[in-house]
Amino acid sequence: MKKFFEKIFQSKVWRSIFRHGLPVSNRTRAEAVFYNFFLHVHPTKVRKRSLKFTYTWGLGGLSVGLFIVLVFTGALLMLYYRPSVAQAYWDMKDLQFVVSSGQFLRNMHRWAAHAMVAIVFLHMMRVFYTGSYRPPKEFNWVIGVMLLVITVLLSYTGYLLPWDQLSYWGISVGTNMVRSVPFGIGDKISFLLLGGNSVGENALVRFYVLHCFIIPVAAMVLMGIHFWRIRKDGGV
Amino acid sequence: MSNLRKYFALSSVIFLIVLALAPFKDYFQEWKSYQNQYNVLVNDLPQRVTPVPIGIKQLWIPKFDRVDRCVTCHLGMKEEALKNVRQPFTTHPHMYHDVEEFGCTFCHEGQGSATEYKESLGKVKFWDKPIFPKEFMEASCAKCHKEQIIPQAPILTLGRKIIQESNCAGCHKIEGYQKQWVPPLDGIGSKVNRTWLVNWLKNPKAYSPKTRMPNFLLPEEEANILADFLMTFKELPNGVTLESAPAVLTSASEAVKAKMIDLGSTRFKEARCISCHTVNGKGGYVANELGKVASKDNKEWLYNYIKNPKHISPDVAMPRFRLKENELTGMVAYIESEFVDYEMEAQPEHTPDPAFYEKGLALFKKYNCNGCHELSAAHKSEEVGPELSLIGSKKIYEIDFGKTTIDQSLPSYIHAKLATPRIFSPAMKMPNFQFTDEEMQAVTVALLGNTNETIPEEYIVHAKPKSTFVPQGEFGKIVKDLACMSCHVMNGNGRLVATDLSMEASQVQRKWVEGYFKVPYSLRPILTERMPNFFLPNDEIKTIADYMEKVFVVDSLDHEITKDAASVSKGKGLYFEKFGCQSCHQISGKGGYVGPPLDKIGSRLKGGWIYHWLKNPQAYKPESIEPDNKLTDEEAEDLAAYLISLK
Repeated sequence: MKKFFEKIFQSKVWRSIFRHGLPVSNRTRAEAVFYNFFLHVHPTKVRKRSLKFTYTWGLGGLSVGLFIVLVFTGALLMLYYRPSVAQAYWDMKDLQFVVSSGQFLRNMHRWAAHAMVAIVFLHMMRVFYTGSYRPPKEFNWVIGVMLLVITVLLSYTGYLLPWDQLSYWGISVGTNMVRSVPFGIGDKISFLLLGGNSVGENALVRFYVLHCFIIPVAAMVLMGIHFWRIRKDGGV
Repeated sequence: MSNLRKYFALSSVIFLIVLALAPFKDYFQEWKSYQNQYNVLVNDLPQRVTPVPIGIKQLWIPKFDRVDRCVTCHLGMKEEALKNVRQPFTTHPHMYHDVEEFGCTFCHEGQGSATEYKESLGKVKFWDKPIFPKEFMEASCAKCHKEQIIPQAPILTLGRKIIQESNCAGCHKIEGYQKQWVPPLDGIGSKVNRTWLVNWLKNPKAYSPKTRMPNFLLPEEEANILADFLMTFKELPNGVTLESAPAVLTSASEAVKAKMIDLGSTRFKEARCISCHTVNGKGGYVANELGKVASKDNKEWLYNYIKNPKHISPDVAMPRFRLKENELTGMVAYIESEFVDYEMEAQPEHTPDPAFYEKGLALFKKYNCNGCHELSAAHKSEEVGPELSLIGSKKIYEIDFGKTTIDQSLPSYIHAKLATPRIFSPAMKMPNFQFTDEEMQAVTVALLGNTNETIPEEYIVHAKPKSTFVPQGEFGKIVKDLACMSCHVMNGNGRLVATDLSMEASQVQRKWVEGYFKVPYSLRPILTERMPNFFLPNDEIKTIADYMEKVFVVDSLDHEITKDAASVSKGKGLYFEKFGCQSCHQISGKGGYVGPPLDKIGSRLKGGWIYHWLKNPQAYKPESIEPDNKLTDEEAEDLAAYLISLK
């Protein structure tokens, strides 16, 4: 049995995927982390006490887990949803009534979104109260704050997409609040967001593109930096 | 630590189970169970009904932008064999429109895209149009049917009629309804007495149960101020002045008075006043109640009004009877002696508020009295009620239900508003029309039908353009003076209470017309409306007959009938044996009483008309119950020959 496995590990195919050998020495253990795409952001060594659950409460990991759920369900929802005034609400109704597990998808997406906002916020509180923003991690705190803003923006842009009364007035109120930014800047931002002066077809398309492409991509880039920094500073 | 791991493990398992349940939930759906039940049900039936393949079914109606999935569960809609099975499988009652073309929710409302029972009813959040309760269903007909009378939708038709007649358009803007004529109030001070006015303002229906005036629920004080205010308007419009009533009305001795009353009473009956007016609730419904009129209007006004109604009130429908001076006086004396309200509530001694005029005018405007009644002191009304043209599309979140606990839906809102107009806020001003339940339902239906839905033009059934025919010249003057068109239709214009006169001269003989004005009689004993006797002089009768002969003619109705004895006897045979006409018509006292008696029919009708009428009665009067016996030309000629021989 042992021989069989050894044969596999020595095979050309296996070695082309995993260049390092079995992690039997400190060197090969380190190589296993360096050469793996998924593990390479990991520090090669972690302090034992930081592995304790109550040290971080796993909030960062939960946030990224929820983000993955959201990307996955969101991509599936995109298959059925058309961001047009005439179709949006009916597509939602079709998801609810005729798409297989459509309502389940929507609910997953929605609850994961709510949970993500809450958990990202808790994550920030944890970092704040444990003083984890202190040097040398000040910049990562800043990126974290940006990610919090992005999370909230993702949640807000997604709010318009069902195109019901709640979304319509939610976005009307939100963009009107933006308008009160002084020196005429508010009006400009609001116009830019809505693609006009009122919530309509243009606003729907803009919010859709923001929600499904621009903000998620920004989030992924920032998350990459965020995680990379954590690992380099010895976090999990 | 180990505890934490246990929790972690447990929660993971729970999440896994939840995740595994999701596809199951999708698999065991309500509609699938219904479709399976349906297939079991039709298998057990003696008749052959095809089972359905399992799957969502829908009607897609792109024209109306609707997708209706009701048919996913309502599977037996078109299966006659399923008439007596349970819902949702039973057969649909008679459908006026093709379901493939119109879908379900176009008429029923509700959430068509839903595949769950609760959701499909649409009584859920974010759905504006829940399914219509059965009693309000006809509202949907109104989306396309703009015509006046829709035989298949009697409730809607009634509702529209009530809205028109109750003059809702006086206060509310409603597309398709015009303001009705209502007596102007200038001169009311010279017409009525104050006691009557106060009582009337407080509760109009106490005086006349059928009045169209609603109850404004005025407090005592407001009614008094408004009465004081209105009593100051003594001058009639257009500078018309009242002649004083003949002195003999007050000064005559008892014996003379009795004679006068006797004459008045005779003329009152001969003129058939109760053809249009009611007296204590009995009589026609065209004009207003007379039972207590002597306690309302003073002698002087009554005298002037009966003498020449249009002089006092130019737009009123009352005809001018050709009464002689003594007959006129007698009529007034009769009314004064007979039509008294002995139970009229006396008003306590009253000192007018010093600012009654200003306050009265303010009240007059507050309740938008001038929405219906004209008054020189108040300008044209601003329509104070909300527009009702699109009320059927009012969203539930736009409605303020106040502190009421009624069902939160548009039909119950409208219904409650009609039943208790100020239920949602005491600050509201809408009066109480005291509708019956049936009337309220009808009005609610008609209002619910006013939606903002855009219907493709080819589906809309427009109201027939109204004829504007008004006879001119000498005849026109008589028609106006006698208000003929309040009961008769001429070339499509007028109100159809009595007959349509548009082809009168092709139907009846001139001699009969002339005689009829002397002694008008009802052609059918079972009818209540009767032609009044206007006491017309001969020259006016001649003008009428001349005009009819020249204008109210349809050339195609001419048909020469040969009146030889053979033909007459053949006709008689057809009458009594082949067609059994005597089961509805009477000749010399024998026969049924559904149709008019046919004695002396030969002195009334023209042969050509009888011939054409017998061949196809419904062509001339679609609602006639005269059977269409598919007579041959010869049969019709013989029957006509027999009938005109009855002189």
